[in-house]
Amino acid sequence: MGTLLLDGVSKRYGEAVAVDRVDLDIRQGELVALLGPSGCGKTTTLRMVAGFIEPTAGRVVIGGRDVTRLPPYARDTGMVFQSYALFPHMSVADNVGFGLEMRKVARAERDRRVAEALRLVRLDALADRLPRQLSGGQQQRVALARALVVSPAVFLLDEPLSNLDAKLRAEVGLEIRELQKRLGLTTLMVTHDQDEALAMADRLVVMEHGRVLQVGTAEDLYERPANTFVAGFVGRCNLLPGAREGADVFRLTSGAAVPCAPDAAAPGGLLAIRPERIEVAPDPAGAGRLRAMTYLGGRTEYHLDLAGEAIVAVSPTPLPDDPRRRLNAGDPVRITWIPDAARVIPTADAASVTPTPEKSPAR
Amino acid sequence: MFALILPAVLVVAALLVGPMVLLARISLNQYSATQLMIEATTAQNYLNAVADPYYRGVMLTTLVMAFICTALTLALGFPAAYRLARMESRWKSLVTVLTLIPLLVGNVVRAAGWLGLLGNDGLINATLRGLGLTSEPLRLVYTPGAVAVGTIAVVLPYMILTLSSVIESIPRAVEEAAANLGASAFTVFRRVVWPLALPGTVAGCVLVFILCMNTYATAVLLGGSQFKMMAPAVYDQFSKGMNWPFGAALAFILLAATLVLTVLGTALLGRRYAR
Ligand SMILES: Nc1ncnc2c1ncn2[C@@H]1O[C@H](COP(=O)(O)OP(=O)(O)OP(=O)(O)O)[C@@H](O)[C@H]1O
Ligand SMILES: [Mg+2]
Repeated sequence: MGTLLLDGVSKRYGEAVAVDRVDLDIRQGELVALLGPSGCGKTTTLRMVAGFIEPTAGRVVIGGRDVTRLPPYARDTGMVFQSYALFPHMSVADNVGFGLEMRKVARAERDRRVAEALRLVRLDALADRLPRQLSGGQQQRVALARALVVSPAVFLLDEPLSNLDAKLRAEVGLEIRELQKRLGLTTLMVTHDQDEALAMADRLVVMEHGRVLQVGTAEDLYERPANTFVAGFVGRCNLLPGAREGADVFRLTSGAAVPCAPDAAAPGGLLAIRPERIEVAPDPAGAGRLRAMTYLGGRTEYHLDLAGEAIVAVSPTPLPDDPRRRLNAGDPVRITWIPDAARVIPTADAASVTPTPEKSPAR
Repeated sequence: MFALILPAVLVVAALLVGPMVLLARISLNQYSATQLMIEATTAQNYLNAVADPYYRGVMLTTLVMAFICTALTLALGFPAAYRLARMESRWKSLVTVLTLIPLLVGNVVRAAGWLGLLGNDGLINATLRGLGLTSEPLRLVYTPGAVAVGTIAVVLPYMILTLSSVIESIPRAVEEAAANLGASAFTVFRRVVWPLALPGTVAGCVLVFILCMNTYATAVLLGGSQFKMMAPAVYDQFSKGMNWPFGAALAFILLAATLVLTVLGTALLGRRYAR
């Protein structure tokens, strides 16, 4: 019942394309996060699912029913707004009961389900309060309960954590994820915070300029980014230009030969290597040079130079007697990584990369 | 803090409270056909006004007109205010200015304009006759209806601007949340927009009601000689009858009626939706 299918959904504002032919298939009980920089079309996509924006092309299908032309109130989605959008003149209980009232649920049944939903978000003690008498985190939970209580076919979250402080954010994020799993809610979430998306989602959708660049699990995106944009957007990444020279050798444009993962499909382009996969060691005969070292408590960042290429490496801060602690700017270093840690990505402008076809989800 | 509001307080005291006190004093004086006004302290003017069926009728006309005009102005103003409040920024300032423009034209000029439109030789009647649809002019002007139309046209901008500023303060997401939970457009209005806009609606209605109660030029010019409202009646006493004490008493009765109804209405509506 609770599946969501976006089929070539687009939204144009005159000449400008806010969302460009987005295809997405979310299965029952799955949490998918739309991730991307500001203005890439995340909110627009979410609002087209909710019915607040009408697509200029494509179909929105919820639970097998084409809802593209249906008004918001006929769609059976439960949305949690970024601003929470609680009804300021209604008590917490009335806020949560509103959707049931609209569905003509009898009073007794409604009260029971409201109480249950409030227990779920641990707000049963505050049922008679008005929204303005609640903290931000509590308002957030009321908004969650209000959307959950009607058991919507699709649960929609627009930057659900952005109005919370950093400490609460991780906590509430986990809570939402737990609830979503427990209730088996098919969920589409929008965020521009990659940590949030990586922590909460089953699958992530990376968007740019209204287009989907890659769909996959956190591991897919991190380990096997489809293009340079995804590589750079999800986590930090060194991108080094050059071409493959052997099965596991990559020749940098600057001349140095470095190891890379064997992959016949990617003959040349950019070598993507994550900072934490790079080993740095003092070595008078090393090909690299340390330009600067930043001590960040638990981690240390090394800003390196490899034959003119700037490279960033990160490692857990070494013990005090480790020779790396005595490195100075300008010192020669050995820079190494295992071949599998470095992947070759075709050099195509991120925008012109064809989106990876989504793996058909298991049903 | 007090120093800042002092000039305003002084101006109000000098220009409003002073004349009011004077007027109150005059309303207690006695009228004499020969001496016009005799110093006295009597409630006779008030008693006369209340006892006289003619002035009771004038008061009733005024109240009915004010209520009807306020209700119609609200009905017309709310949808317009809603549209204005929810407009995209580029058009919004233009429409706001357009809403304000009628206020640049005085009431008298506007009433004259209505005469040109509704009068026996006005645009509508001339057109109808020209088309051969009527031989006798339709009686459009010098009717309570004409006064109502003219009054509503005067007060509508106040209503729209008051309401739209309140509606603007209701986040659109709150309406969307209601729609998302299954509320139709009408239910969103009834359950969310209306109750949240209520304080502004009360304010707008009070403002408009006061303006309607005190309608002068529109009532005189569009109502004709048979139609009488309180403000013109007060004026008549001062200018034509030269009966200042009675005129002053009428003025205070009008003021009191307006005040009582305004306070009562605000309190009742305020309580209805008080949390
Ligand atoms: N009503 C509109 N008229 C014209 N352009 C619009 C309109 N709404 C959105 N856009 C454009 O569509 C694009 C996508 O907007 P959207 O709000 O979906 O971005 P987003 O990914 O949610 O960004 P953010 O992370 O900043 O919220 C933006 O370039 C925006 O300027
Ligand atoms: Mg957004």
